[in-house]
Amino acid sequence: MHARTKGRLLAGAAVVAALAPAGGVASAARRAPSTAVGVGAREFRLTAYRVSVPAGIVRFNLANYGQDVHDLVVATAGGRRLARSVEVRPGGRTTLRLRLRPGSYRLVCDLADHAALGMHATIRVR
Amino acid sequence: MADWSEQHVRRLFWRAGFGATAEEAGVWAQRGRRATLDHVVDGPVEGRKLRGPAPRVDRRGLDPVNEWGDDVLWWLDQMLRTNYPLVERMTLFWHDHFATSDQDAPLMLRQNRMLRGHALGSFPALLRDVTHDPAMQLFLSLADSSKGAPNENYARELMELFTLGSGYGERDIRETARALTGFRSNWKDGRFGGIAFDREQHDGGVKRIFGRAGRFGVDDVIALVCDHPRHAPFLVAKLWSYFIAEPPSRETVRGLAATYRRSGLSIKPVVRAILEHPMLYRRLDAPDMVKWPVVYVAGAMRASRTFVTAGYPTWLLASMGQQLFHPPSVAGWDWGAAWLSSNSMKQRFTFGNHLIENGPAKVEKGSVKVTIGARGHYALAHAAVGSPQVSTHTREVLTHLAAGWFHDIPASWRAKAGWRAESLQRTLRHLLLTCPESQLC
Repeated sequence: MHARTKGRLLAGAAVVAALAPAGGVASAARRAPSTAVGVGAREFRLTAYRVSVPAGIVRFNLANYGQDVHDLVVATAGGRRLARSVEVRPGGRTTLRLRLRPGSYRLVCDLADHAALGMHATIRVR
Repeated sequence: MADWSEQHVRRLFWRAGFGATAEEAGVWAQRGRRATLDHVVDGPVEGRKLRGPAPRVDRRGLDPVNEWGDDVLWWLDQMLRTNYPLVERMTLFWHDHFATSDQDAPLMLRQNRMLRGHALGSFPALLRDVTHDPAMQLFLSLADSSKGAPNENYARELMELFTLGSGYGERDIRETARALTGFRSNWKDGRFGGIAFDREQHDGGVKRIFGRAGRFGVDDVIALVCDHPRHAPFLVAKLWSYFIAEPPSRETVRGLAATYRRSGLSIKPVVRAILEHPMLYRRLDAPDMVKWPVVYVAGAMRASRTFVTAGYPTWLLASMGQQLFHPPSVAGWDWGAAWLSSNSMKQRFTFGNHLIENGPAKVEKGSVKVTIGARGHYALAHAAVGSPQVSTHTREVLTHLAAGWFHDIPASWRAKAGWRAESLQRTLRHLLLTCPESQLC
């Protein structure tokens, strides 16, 4: 059930991924200061556990509670993709870490038609 | 053996909590059986409190909603610092009984608070809140079950696992599923907006459940299953098996069921009757209940006055087979010997290593003198891990080990072999934390 993760650099956003056992502590991803945002994925919803976060490094801790593979894309409100996680298997987890400036951001799963089916959320950075 | 001894106290404190310190065993043995049971079952007279330092991991407080594993650490901290352990043990019981998994962390934490609030209270009230609980509703597809397509998942588990075990048929399940229709989950941009009852989606027709007919709804279903003749024996037998390994006799089940019914289906009187039962105190020198992984971990940490300062308990508990908030199925965990697989035992040994390297049980350099003798070494190690109850055989074996620990060192060097005395302490403490009787209670 380990979620192996590998970050990608997209559109100039710094991205850090973490390797952690399920239920474990992603200590490597806890380089202060940063803000953790839990994100739950399932068919077909994406739920962020914070409405807003302070500007700076944000760690999105994605857990896949569903039965399909999912991922997490962070994009600006205008649709510019900043970062994308690896694909996470059912029961798996990954962390996507990036620096965000104030504004509104979209979180989506960009696999297949998951976003259109409802796997999207919004988070505000203040 | 005395009517009420330290051994009685230790047995009770392990079964109804996370063990007794040497001080607690002494104090409550003196105060007597009734006072001890009052304390354990009703809680301390000063009320339920957390004692000791709040958890800090990586120089920060816990964030059980957003940080992986912090949910487990948060609950473990409740177990470590509570002055009313039975509430946590019963919350754990209900977490297993109403097993819910794979739901968003905020909903699982909300469910945990709800279970804790009902831990020793009214079962129908607990069942009502479980039935309305969002995590449970989403887990068993009760949310969004509509009159056009009633989902039977919750109705089936309600009878099979939660209240009856037997004494019902497929028709009862189907009709109950109809009676439970109408809950709608609300989501907006991925955010959960709660569950509401939509009368339009509820099947208001006549249903026939357990031979009775009516336009039953949710409250009626709760009443029907709680009134069913199989309910009381089913629940009291399961509660018994949580505290006592030996199965109850029919007569015992009848007696406990009568206590439960007389109390208006209240949980506390049944738990008290079980904790008072002579069977709980049988063979005090031969414990026969396997400690659940989290009970083992919390008990060892409480005994050695170790608090949550690191994340290792989270992943070790998962490796031991008990990831809190993630029971393996709606049937919960397998109890008993299933907790003692070869891998699980290896993880319990690894936990012992962490405990003696990361807390008050750690052997500090220069802290042990070689010259205290084998019994002195054993006594020092025993006290460092909280003076657990060990058999005479284990004590003798460990003392013998200590006696031979320095034999390969010339006598003239021994007084200066503090490093060797420290390795003996680490070995003794680890063995005391992981020996066979430490896995049982």
